[in-house]
Amino acid sequence: MDNTLKDQLLELEKRANDEIDAINDPSDLEPFRIKYLGKKGALTSLMKSLGTLSHEERPEAGKFANQIKVNLSRHFQDVKLSLEAGRGGDVAPMDVTLPGREPLYGHLHPITLVIKEVCLIFSRMGFRVVKGPNVELDYYNFEALNLPKDHPARDMQDTFYISQNVVLRTHTSPIQVRVMETQKPPVSVIAPGKVYRRDSDVSHTPMFHQVEGLLVDRDVSFGELKGTLTHFIHQMFGSDTRLRFRPSFFPFTEPSAEVDIRCVICGGKGCRTCSHTGWLEILGSGMVDPEVYGFVDYDPDGYSGFAFGMGIERIAMLKYGIDDIQLFFKNDMRFLNQF
Amino acid sequence: MKVSLNWLKEHVDISLSPEELGHVLTMAGLEVEGIEAVGQNLDHILAAKILEVTPHPNADRLSLCRVDTGTDIVQVVCGASNATEGVLAPLILPGGKLSDGTKMKEGRIRGEISKGMLLAEDEMGLTDDHAGIMILPESTTPGTPLSSLLPFPDWVFDVSITPNRPDCASVLGIAREISANTGKPLKSFEHGVDAKGPIIDGLTSVSIQDPDGCPRYAAAVVQDVCLKPAPFWMRYRLFQSGVRSISNLVDVSNYVMLEMGQPLHAFDYDRLGENRIEVRRAEKGEVFTTLDGVKRDLDPETLLICDGEKPVALAGIMGGLNSEIHEKTKNILVESAFFDPITIRRGSKRLGLSTEASYRFERGADIGGVISSLNRALYFINLLAGGVTAKGIMDNYSKPFTAPRISFRPEKANAVLGTSISKSAMKDYFHALEMKVVEDGNQDNLYVIPPTFRVDIKREVDLVEEVARLHGFDNIPVLSPRITPSEGSESPDLLLRDKVRTMMMAFGFSEIITYSFVSPDSVNALVGETPGALNAFTRIMNPLTVDQSVLRTSLIPGLMETARYNILHEMEDLKLFEWGKVFFDRENELQPLEKICLAGIILGVHTEKSWYNKKRPVDFYDVKGTLAVLLKGLGLEGFRFKQEKDLPGYDVSISSGIYCDDTRIGLVGFASPEVIEAYELKMGHVCLFELDVAAMLSALPEKKTFVPFGKFPAVHRDLSLVLDRRIECGVIMDIIKEEGRDLLESVHVFDLYEGERIDQSKKAISFKISFRSDRGTLDGEAVNGLYEAMVEKIGQKTGGKLREG
Repeated sequence: MDNTLKDQLLELEKRANDEIDAINDPSDLEPFRIKYLGKKGALTSLMKSLGTLSHEERPEAGKFANQIKVNLSRHFQDVKLSLEAGRGGDVAPMDVTLPGREPLYGHLHPITLVIKEVCLIFSRMGFRVVKGPNVELDYYNFEALNLPKDHPARDMQDTFYISQNVVLRTHTSPIQVRVMETQKPPVSVIAPGKVYRRDSDVSHTPMFHQVEGLLVDRDVSFGELKGTLTHFIHQMFGSDTRLRFRPSFFPFTEPSAEVDIRCVICGGKGCRTCSHTGWLEILGSGMVDPEVYGFVDYDPDGYSGFAFGMGIERIAMLKYGIDDIQLFFKNDMRFLNQF
Repeated sequence: MKVSLNWLKEHVDISLSPEELGHVLTMAGLEVEGIEAVGQNLDHILAAKILEVTPHPNADRLSLCRVDTGTDIVQVVCGASNATEGVLAPLILPGGKLSDGTKMKEGRIRGEISKGMLLAEDEMGLTDDHAGIMILPESTTPGTPLSSLLPFPDWVFDVSITPNRPDCASVLGIAREISANTGKPLKSFEHGVDAKGPIIDGLTSVSIQDPDGCPRYAAAVVQDVCLKPAPFWMRYRLFQSGVRSISNLVDVSNYVMLEMGQPLHAFDYDRLGENRIEVRRAEKGEVFTTLDGVKRDLDPETLLICDGEKPVALAGIMGGLNSEIHEKTKNILVESAFFDPITIRRGSKRLGLSTEASYRFERGADIGGVISSLNRALYFINLLAGGVTAKGIMDNYSKPFTAPRISFRPEKANAVLGTSISKSAMKDYFHALEMKVVEDGNQDNLYVIPPTFRVDIKREVDLVEEVARLHGFDNIPVLSPRITPSEGSESPDLLLRDKVRTMMMAFGFSEIITYSFVSPDSVNALVGETPGALNAFTRIMNPLTVDQSVLRTSLIPGLMETARYNILHEMEDLKLFEWGKVFFDRENELQPLEKICLAGIILGVHTEKSWYNKKRPVDFYDVKGTLAVLLKGLGLEGFRFKQEKDLPGYDVSISSGIYCDDTRIGLVGFASPEVIEAYELKMGHVCLFELDVAAMLSALPEKKTFVPFGKFPAVHRDLSLVLDRRIECGVIMDIIKEEGRDLLESVHVFDLYEGERIDQSKKAISFKISFRSDRGTLDGEAVNGLYEAMVEKIGQKTGGKLREG
């Protein structure tokens, strides 16, 4: 490396250091910065002359010059800070309590959040998310689920009709039939969606959300149904959540089980939310009724499986402590902003 | 079904506490929704004898009673007309509570002291009777606490009955379940009567024209009955089960229905033409008045019970006015029948008439229990209404029932349940449920024959459920599922939806969910006078309200409505989006087209005044910018915005289509004045957008491919133009892109000026243009050549010139 340039740099550094140390008045800082570190300052112009060096010399000299620039800048900052401090805070340090420039952040609907969480838990177990139409044929919504036209169980759900054989689906269960129609076992799917019932009062909205699940394979047992849903509830509500399976009735499952969890509000002592029973109904489930396999051409002796369904609003209400189902569809920002 | 614990105890021994029993029933599939204690607050109520009744000096309707409380003689004021000298009635003393929670206090009524109150049954929550005070038996000793006189304490269980278990819509049915689950045997009960009347064959006959609709019809006749109110204990139980008391005869049929599950009907024998019964279908146009006084038009869907001349009842649903029991009834015919469930359901649906009887018949009554229920009724009629019972029962069993013989594989049951229950344990379960079990020779299989009341047991799987129930769901092991990853992939819109939601949220938008059904008028403000595609509604045949009578064809009304709602609640700066389906009716298709859309709205202030920003209302470029970043972020390339007029709901001058090639994938713009007015929002600055998800998906490149980035430095040029205000920026940018050819990397608009410093008809616009080559460092000359070509082309095509200075 050209010793002349090196000497020049060292000399400049020494001069500048001396000069900084001599500064006592903050108003002298800026002239100094311009003189040495500015765009047209002494150091900058010296560095420009690096261009005249040979190709081999250039990197080393560049590095050397840069180091001097870094050192000098640091020294300058130190002096600047100590001068400012010495002046009794005449120039205040940055006010970190001044609000930052916050980007606007939106909120997802709590129903979306719960559906995502439910689907994630089942996806991790190996279930695939599927969907189906909202306007459904009577065949899929009822008949193929072992609910023939004159079945009293049709009274369990008040139905919106589009025409004699077309309904707004009253549950997500028709998706089970649609999946089985197009896919041979093994099947493991989860199906979230909107459902509709002709019911509107304090505790009912005519539209709400469900998530349906279905697993069909060889030798699937009720014990595995219990295992799957126990895992789900422990993931969703915490691993110390107590739950129970009790016999119930759905036309498309046999045996059928309702799944209750210990009331999350009162812990089982009995309160208004659990109608003083200490338990909350969370899921309907059961082993797929062989009658349903008949509609989708599965061999009921070769395969077995289970299905389950849950109401999302109810889970969201329990999870977030929401006491009014109507809130979900008012879309009040004071509500949405909380999620 | 509501049922009293003491009534259950008549049929099976119960040593469990009410709570424990509730748990047993719930875990057996009979969910107990509530347990209510009855007669728990009778502490301060005792039997009192009225010694003297004198008129109240200050009130015509009241009297003063001197009553003997066993330990004292006190005065009470009473308004009941049956408060007469010598009768015994319940008296509540000061300190006691009525069933409605009112606390009794000593006080003066119209100036006269009343040290308590003589009570009617309803005031103690025992029945709904308020006709007068409750009269206690003459043999009662004054001072006896009421609770020891009545069968208290008692609890009423509210049991939810699933549609497959009509047998449990009865005291006996629930008792059977308790017996099966606790091992306590069922008790026998009184039934039948020592018949002293004439032989029934001479009194009536039953003919059935439709054996499918009515496989069995049994009738009994009782003569010289005495119609009067039923006794307290029966009225009490009916009341607790939610059935109104009418008279002893009507109450008996209701009581036996609740107890045995078999609906019965009592006719006035003398009002039956030819005193006989005929069962047939109604004819079209036939009219019949049911005992609720309603005239009903019938058709062959309805099964009728007729006498020799006319219809007298809607089979299994409701009796008729013309054969109803009344004060002067002397002789009665009691019906106990089995009707086909589907026939009853169709008739009941058709007439819109659902009763306790039709509820049970349409789910399935017990064909084998027809006679025992009738005998139970005859026992109570004789007990409560006296009379002479005709000898024998007319039992027309025209279509005998054969119970199914179900092949059952214990091994299969264990496989389905994941259990290892022994065959003998399973047999015990079946026996406990009154099922017959037949061994199948050498085989491991069994044959199981369910009792007639278990209409739900038809197949092997139904028996598997019974095994599971009696074994206890709790005792079935919890097993880890083996899940084979299933074929097929998730629908692409689901993946897109998650990305879109996350991005919209990061852009400051909040998600809303609105109802899929709307008012047909909701699109009026969007489409104007002439109906368009948005009017292709799918209509709901039975909507709850007109406002929810059609399926939405656009997400805009929901967004606007939500905006209005929030503005009314003082939240005026909104960024909202909804991802949802819209529905378009299609000719010749049963189901509408379901299209997934993403739509949004921005209104109010974009940035509030702050220490670093000026306040600014939202404008078109806020939404456009959001959409551009969204689309780019999703991987969509080459989309463009084209001004378009006549977009439904959008302002004619500030609206644009969003295109990928020639496909319109969405709309964006200001809401039209009509829409703003319809939702009572403030004019200006309401921006809307809609994207068609399917169109977006098909415009997306199939896969993402990495493009190596340039190794050589970029060269930048600023281009400042003055041109006619009406020339769109996009036109200039197109020229820049075209002329920049493959060396053009990006164009950025960094300034736009319209104002005093230039001609009024002009605008000044400045671009920063970046060039880069992937073959080497760009030569300034080459770039200058391209730059000049651009300026020239812009001049030719738009008259735009370089801005001086």
